Amino acid sequence: MDTTVKPQYNDGVVKYLTVGAIVFLVLGTFLGTFAASQLAWPALNFDIAEITFARLRVMHTNTVIFAFGGMTLMATAFYTVQRTNGVKLWSNGMAWVTAILFTIGLLLVVVTISLGMTTGKEYHEQEWPLAIAIALVWTLYTLNFVMTIAARNKETHPNVYVSNWFFLGMMIAITYLYVVNGLAIPVSLFRSYSLFGGVQDAMIQWWWGHNAVGFFLTAGFLGIMYYFVPKQAQRPIYSYRLSVIHFWALMFGYVWLGAHHLQYTALPDWTGSLGAVISLAMIIPSWGGALNGMLTLSGAWDRLRTDYILRFLIIALAFYAMATFEGPVMAAKTVNALSHYTDWTVGHVHSGALGWVAMVSIGALYHMVMKMWNTEMYSMKLINFHFWLATIGTVFYIVAMWVSGIMQGLMWRAYDEYGTLAYTFAESVASMHPYYVMRVVGGVLFFSGAVVMLYNVIMTIRTANARQEVGTTANA
Amino acid sequence: MLDYFKTDWSAMTTSDWVGLIITVAVFFGMLITFWRALRPSKRKELEEEKYKILDDD
Repeated sequence: MDTTVKPQYNDGVVKYLTVGAIVFLVLGTFLGTFAASQLAWPALNFDIAEITFARLRVMHTNTVIFAFGGMTLMATAFYTVQRTNGVKLWSNGMAWVTAILFTIGLLLVVVTISLGMTTGKEYHEQEWPLAIAIALVWTLYTLNFVMTIAARNKETHPNVYVSNWFFLGMMIAITYLYVVNGLAIPVSLFRSYSLFGGVQDAMIQWWWGHNAVGFFLTAGFLGIMYYFVPKQAQRPIYSYRLSVIHFWALMFGYVWLGAHHLQYTALPDWTGSLGAVISLAMIIPSWGGALNGMLTLSGAWDRLRTDYILRFLIIALAFYAMATFEGPVMAAKTVNALSHYTDWTVGHVHSGALGWVAMVSIGALYHMVMKMWNTEMYSMKLINFHFWLATIGTVFYIVAMWVSGIMQGLMWRAYDEYGTLAYTFAESVASMHPYYVMRVVGGVLFFSGAVVMLYNVIMTIRTANARQEVGTTANA
Repeated sequence: MLDYFKTDWSAMTTSDWVGLIITVAVFFGMLITFWRALRPSKRKELEEEKYKILDDD
């Protein structure tokens, strides 16, 4: 007779956030694929202001980064903080308030952007009332997380597992970065002007912009990696000490990188150089972390043949390693002179966003669905199908943007024998068309994978009770 | 080379000093952190942490 008592956790809110994240993944990748289609076939904007590329692209970034990414971070943080500290959430009610308000806030962000209400600051387009609301909701999320850790039994759980460090580092950094970059003078309900001007505004913007990548899309998702890779692999992380080094190097180092977005601008030259140098130095901890995750499978690589969820988690680490090498290379001034303002940057971002962030999230979300609903997935074959759709879609996307971006950079700086530009800008745009079509194909594949995932998860939830009863009967 | 590293300390603004102090503090902070994490005497204690999540649910 099994006498062990399984700990009870507050999983209701985590279930809501998990399903919400998957819905936003479908919506966000649809918006992205539609935006990509408009670049290939501009007539698809149908002359409707609310869905022109300029607005659609921002609706896409806000949906995938903040709605999908944010809900995934909330779901995984609330899920892991309970289990790693052996306690329920400090306040289940506050967690529900956080989740509901975050959902409403993000939907309002998407709607207001489609109506043309924007600060014009990349990745911080929300106008001031929504920005304040989001900051307050984020503070509730952070407070609940911190208090849950504080409420743990110090005798049974004297130390705090490293995934919590990454989550907490992300929460603190994002709070002050978001608030400082959002400082503005409101002139009406949905119009404001940044408190900063000129090059200072640009520097503050990219201090936030790159750290949205560094903390929101990297540190938070590394928290996911440090919990879910060992759990799915059923093996401890390769080196705990390396994870500690990884954490502190990331926390100390990432905040210096933003200036590499402003090479060859009015920003002092040394600032860009500093950003590039620290970017290159960050390859070391980033690769250390990626190897730490991958080497967790040492001696059990064969599991990748049968465990499709583990495949998502491990290929995410491969893309993480690739993107964290590519980024610093692009930050170096010589490469930046060619790559900046081209589609290469878009390809790089998506190698991180699709390959790393989305893949590691998808792996964690599948894992949580099975654990929380206490059942196997409705179809493991569909997870395998999703894996290949996502992987091939990502590869199509980034290869198209590499070729397109490098071609753009070379065309823009080609001169003829008289010293004048060899190509007009319009000629470079026309040359991009085949690659923009290829990107749409990649986007459609990735979006299709998200739809397959949503179907698989819905069917898993709908049939969970029935399959548990069958399992119980069979065991009786 | 010496010219390259020459610094006009009298021209340093408050922002320059704040930046310099933070940079040096971060450098030493990283050194101390790495030393604390990598010293052999802490190895067993730190590595034991990684097993604790395997049976948390």
